[in-house]
Amino acid sequence: MKLITNSKGFSSVIGTTFMVLVMMFLGTSVFMWTLSQNTLYNEAVRTRNQEEADRVNEGVVALGGNYSVSGEDVTVLAVLKNAGSVTAQLINLWVLDTNKSRYANKPINLNMNPGDSELVTYTVFIPETGANHTFASWFVTARGNTVPLERELAEGVLVAQVAQGIGYLAMDFDKFKYYEYASDYGLKDFPAGSGGYSVPAAEQLAFGLRLTNYDPTGGKRSLTLNSHSLIWMYFPTIGKQVIWHIVNVDANGTVQPTYSAITLAYQETATVYFASRSDGSFGGTNDRVKPGSTGPAAINLLLLGTIGSDEYGQNIPFVSVYCS
Amino acid sequence: MKLKSAECLEMDSRKVWKLLHRRRGVSVVVSNVILTGAVIAVSFAVLFWTQYRSSAYNEQYSEAMNADIARLKERLAFEYVFHHQSGNKLSVYLMNCGTINDTTVKTVYITTSTGEHVKVFSNITLMDFDGNEIADQDLDKGEEGYFVLSSPGLAPDTSYSVRVVTGRGSTFDHKFIA
Repeated sequence: MKLITNSKGFSSVIGTTFMVLVMMFLGTSVFMWTLSQNTLYNEAVRTRNQEEADRVNEGVVALGGNYSVSGEDVTVLAVLKNAGSVTAQLINLWVLDTNKSRYANKPINLNMNPGDSELVTYTVFIPETGANHTFASWFVTARGNTVPLERELAEGVLVAQVAQGIGYLAMDFDKFKYYEYASDYGLKDFPAGSGGYSVPAAEQLAFGLRLTNYDPTGGKRSLTLNSHSLIWMYFPTIGKQVIWHIVNVDANGTVQPTYSAITLAYQETATVYFASRSDGSFGGTNDRVKPGSTGPAAINLLLLGTIGSDEYGQNIPFVSVYCS
Repeated sequence: MKLKSAECLEMDSRKVWKLLHRRRGVSVVVSNVILTGAVIAVSFAVLFWTQYRSSAYNEQYSEAMNADIARLKERLAFEYVFHHQSGNKLSVYLMNCGTINDTTVKTVYITTSTGEHVKVFSNITLMDFDGNEIADQDLDKGEEGYFVLSSPGLAPDTSYSVRVVTGRGSTFDHKFIA
């Protein structure tokens, strides 16, 4: 009653109440607004972090890089693999001719899901380029990563670690076959033949094996085998040797009477046949060769010829057979 | 009707005179009205002032926050940096791989591998990959472009770093060998 009837200090109460309400109103609104702004910022930070994580997890690799030059067009062959955990979009290919210090880029649009693998070929124009030049190239992804293209030569080095690629030519151990004769010049079961590691000692045989030119100098030179190339079988228990000279065999499995040089382009794989007792020719029955002895034998490849403009000679060992 | 006597009239005039000349009660009411009105007026003034100040603060904060967010969204990727030794030029190929448009290049710094400044460039002309000048002189999302720095003063086969500063203030660095 006293408070109501006594009006002293009433204005102070109103003023204080008003001020408190004003302060609460303003404080709350500013706080809420600041909170919303901070939320926006935090959202932007979170998005940025996610983008960075995606960028780091983008794991595209470019392997088996190979370059071929035609005029001033450089064709890049590569195998692209998305080994990362996110999808990737490749948007650009850059190629640098290190000899001329010239470069070019090719816009591309390749989307790759995780685990995808693609063999791609792109051609760029580089003025004054040349076939014997050295190139470097890299892909650029939409997230801004660069993917360097690893040369196929690097894989050749790995092959050499298992002794398959020592020297210029590599032999495919899985494709070592022997053939019996179906006629004077005709090979039996051509081109499948029989597995080459256990051979009949009493039969006249021809051998076929797959060779690849891996010129490791980077010169990408072609390799030509001359008629002196042969395989020789050595029986260590009896000290006997048998040789088969290189021959040409046509698509029907007929051994050609005269040998013409076989050329393997860089990275080309071809099946090469050895059948003749004579160097450079095959005269049918008289030139057929049989192991003639039983027991274990070592087979060596003795290859002669030229690589590019240089002379070439290589001996590839490691094959063993059992003659029975 | 009974008329008032002279005595009664005198009493009435005395009361009026008293009412007019005794002001104690009147001043309290008036002062309370004035004080309350003043407090309310001042309170409203303070309310409007604080609202004005807080909106100004909000605006500044918002600008700063938006600028920070825009900077966060900016990202430039260096596709290639090539030093033309014969022409004494440095070409820097960029791509806007961020999530915001209108990324401009304001300043470019060339530094050595130890961080010493070699040269600073501020008048940057952006070109597209076809060699044409980019009309708006900025890179939108996913857009590629390059600029050429003349006479960067680089020694061959030496490692350098190029730092690109955007109009929003982001910096992007890339190492290269001249």
